[in-house]
Amino acid sequence: MKILLIIPSYNEENNILKVYNQIKEYNDDIKNELKIDYIVINDCSNDNTLKVLQDNNMNYIDLVSNLGIGGAVQTGYKYAFINGYDIAIQFDGDGQHDINFIKDIYTPIIEAKTDICVGSRYLNKESSKFRSTFMRRVGKNIISFFIKIFTGKSVTDPTSGFRAVNKNIIKLFAEDYPIDYPEPESIVNIIKEGYEIKEVPVSMNERIGGKSSIDIFKSIHYMVKVNISIIIDGMRFRKKREKVK
Amino acid sequence: MTTTLRIVLIGIAIIYLWLIIIAVRKRKMQASIATFWILTGILLIVAVVIPNFIETISNILGFEQTSNMVFCLTIFMAFCALLYLTMLVSKQSKKCITLIQEISILKKKVEELEKNIN
Repeated sequence: MKILLIIPSYNEENNILKVYNQIKEYNDDIKNELKIDYIVINDCSNDNTLKVLQDNNMNYIDLVSNLGIGGAVQTGYKYAFINGYDIAIQFDGDGQHDINFIKDIYTPIIEAKTDICVGSRYLNKESSKFRSTFMRRVGKNIISFFIKIFTGKSVTDPTSGFRAVNKNIIKLFAEDYPIDYPEPESIVNIIKEGYEIKEVPVSMNERIGGKSSIDIFKSIHYMVKVNISIIIDGMRFRKKREKVK
Repeated sequence: MTTTLRIVLIGIAIIYLWLIIIAVRKRKMQASIATFWILTGILLIVAVVIPNFIETISNILGFEQTSNMVFCLTIFMAFCALLYLTMLVSKQSKKCITLIQEISILKKKVEELEKNIN
């Protein structure tokens, strides 16, 4: 069972080393029998991210031109597909995600209970210290509501970028992945393709430094765009597919 | 329509068509896209040569003035062209993204191979 951690990073010179050390710690821990590989996707950072990656001899792909989060993550899925990984896990390079939850996220996939497993901040009330602001929760609820209407599935944390997928979805994502705001759109896409989705409770840390997008117009634009794409994708019929082997 | 206006319009239409044909010949425009633009030029010539033709259509469709129909048609065709261009841009950018991704993955492989050789 080969597991790959896909770490998209854009201007993360301060955080990427911490993430790297966490992965090393995780692999050194004898309790974790399944070792994980990782790939950092450097999306043309303007800061010293590339130098940090080179100096520490990390496994990275340096994109020749800036693609944004969707294109960067898809590069990771392509890499996973080419190298025959069984499971790919998306993991943020900004230290928002906690490596200790990785096992929770990939276990349902190993047990073949689902095709994609999403780490949710909202599934378990106590599980997460960081649950973001009120407005963000409202936005997330609206997205969840539209997903529920158009797919019939309840997804408590549709914008979560902490997710593990199996071989089938790696192939699907390598071929076709939404570019702008990929998380909610890809969830709808997966459900419509007839795959199973499952959520597990995780806790996330507040983003250390970096910019938060409080810009009201950007938020509204984001909400409109995401929901329209959910509606367009949502009007497809769901493909019938055999349960996960 | 006065004769002078007609001659001027036909002159414009011919120059317009000539520009398109030159662009195609110099491979600055794909023939498939050029068909649309050539069609608009021919339409202009038809409208100038047989004005009754357009007037009749306009009357049948119920436009109060022929010019209204012409403007309406022009705007509609411009929108179609825009829509087509937007689709083209999306398609191009997707191809671009794929290229960037594949090149970046290849670059990584090449660097690894170089390291192994040295």
